[in-house]
Amino acid sequence: MNRFDLLNKVQNILKDNLVICNIGLPSQELYKISDQPNFFYMLGSMGLSSSIGLGLALSQNKHVISIDGDGSVLMNMNTLATIGNRAPSNYTLLIIDNGSYGSTGDQRTFTDEKTSLKDVALGAGCKNVVECSGEETVNELNKAIDDKDNSYVIISKINSGNVKIDPIPLNPITIRDRFRKFIGKVKYL
Amino acid sequence: MKISKKIIDNLKKGGVDFYLSVPCKLLANMIDILENDKDVYYSAVPREEEGMGICAGAYLGNKFPCIMMQNTGIGNSVNAIVSLLQLYQMPVVFLISYRGTPGEPVGAQGGMAKITEDILQTLRIPMLHCSSENELDKISTFSKHAKVVESPVAILCDFNLMKEDK
Repeated sequence: MNRFDLLNKVQNILKDNLVICNIGLPSQELYKISDQPNFFYMLGSMGLSSSIGLGLALSQNKHVISIDGDGSVLMNMNTLATIGNRAPSNYTLLIIDNGSYGSTGDQRTFTDEKTSLKDVALGAGCKNVVECSGEETVNELNKAIDDKDNSYVIISKINSGNVKIDPIPLNPITIRDRFRKFIGKVKYL
Repeated sequence: MKISKKIIDNLKKGGVDFYLSVPCKLLANMIDILENDKDVYYSAVPREEEGMGICAGAYLGNKFPCIMMQNTGIGNSVNAIVSLLQLYQMPVVFLISYRGTPGEPVGAQGGMAKITEDILQTLRIPMLHCSSENELDKISTFSKHAKVVESPVAILCDFNLMKEDK
């Protein structure tokens, strides 16, 4: 299973939540599978999906899923400490861990060598850390969303590989405003 | 405490209700005030760039965020400012302790001090430079300006202004 297959499998869960989606192919693939106003596509700032989602979860009550990658989490690893200490129960971090920098040509990341993001997350103070296969991810995501008392970090171990895809045609302000409108914060649209 | 209280009062008057900091000794009094303020959210974060991301999310959730940091933090955050906050036009207040300005005892702070305003200018970020107490009254209007122009704005507080704030 690669990232595109996984996003296909979880799309119905994503539709019912606020989603912050990582820059590059993850966002492009999700856009192609199912574009929704409650999906915030990152067009820049690699590494910050988990952080944007955390700020959003701290600021309103709807459940937030940050879709991140192993390469991006490695770039902003302090985020796991902040999540371990501050994440509210309406927050789930889904790390799609394919052991490679998919958007830049599938170069190997350190999770394909010695680094375990599960161990890092646990050491950083995250309590509910789940490492699972792509097939198990639907169940684990549902469990995380149903648990109203805890936040979760789910590390979905899948194969590398991408589908050929176009850049997202949406303007950043369109992404911003329809997302804020969905959560009821924009009145002028 | 008087200076720090005035800064926080003005930020709150400007509508800021979500605060992060990467600590600095010049920000210590403000952090104390915020930790005891039940009306606003406050947390420390390990790195400024990460804080920019959290501020972006807080804005999406209808908060008006501020990140407090040393000027060195601007250097750590350039890409996040440009390709997140500015790309999506998100108002965020940067409250910056301006290390390396006159009065600073640590020589090594001088390097970032020399280029801080150039970086902010290059980024086209509106700046409010506070070197005396009466300038702090401009902070509330300046913060509101961030919302009007949908842009991050930077408030620079000089070393000598903050160091006397016992």
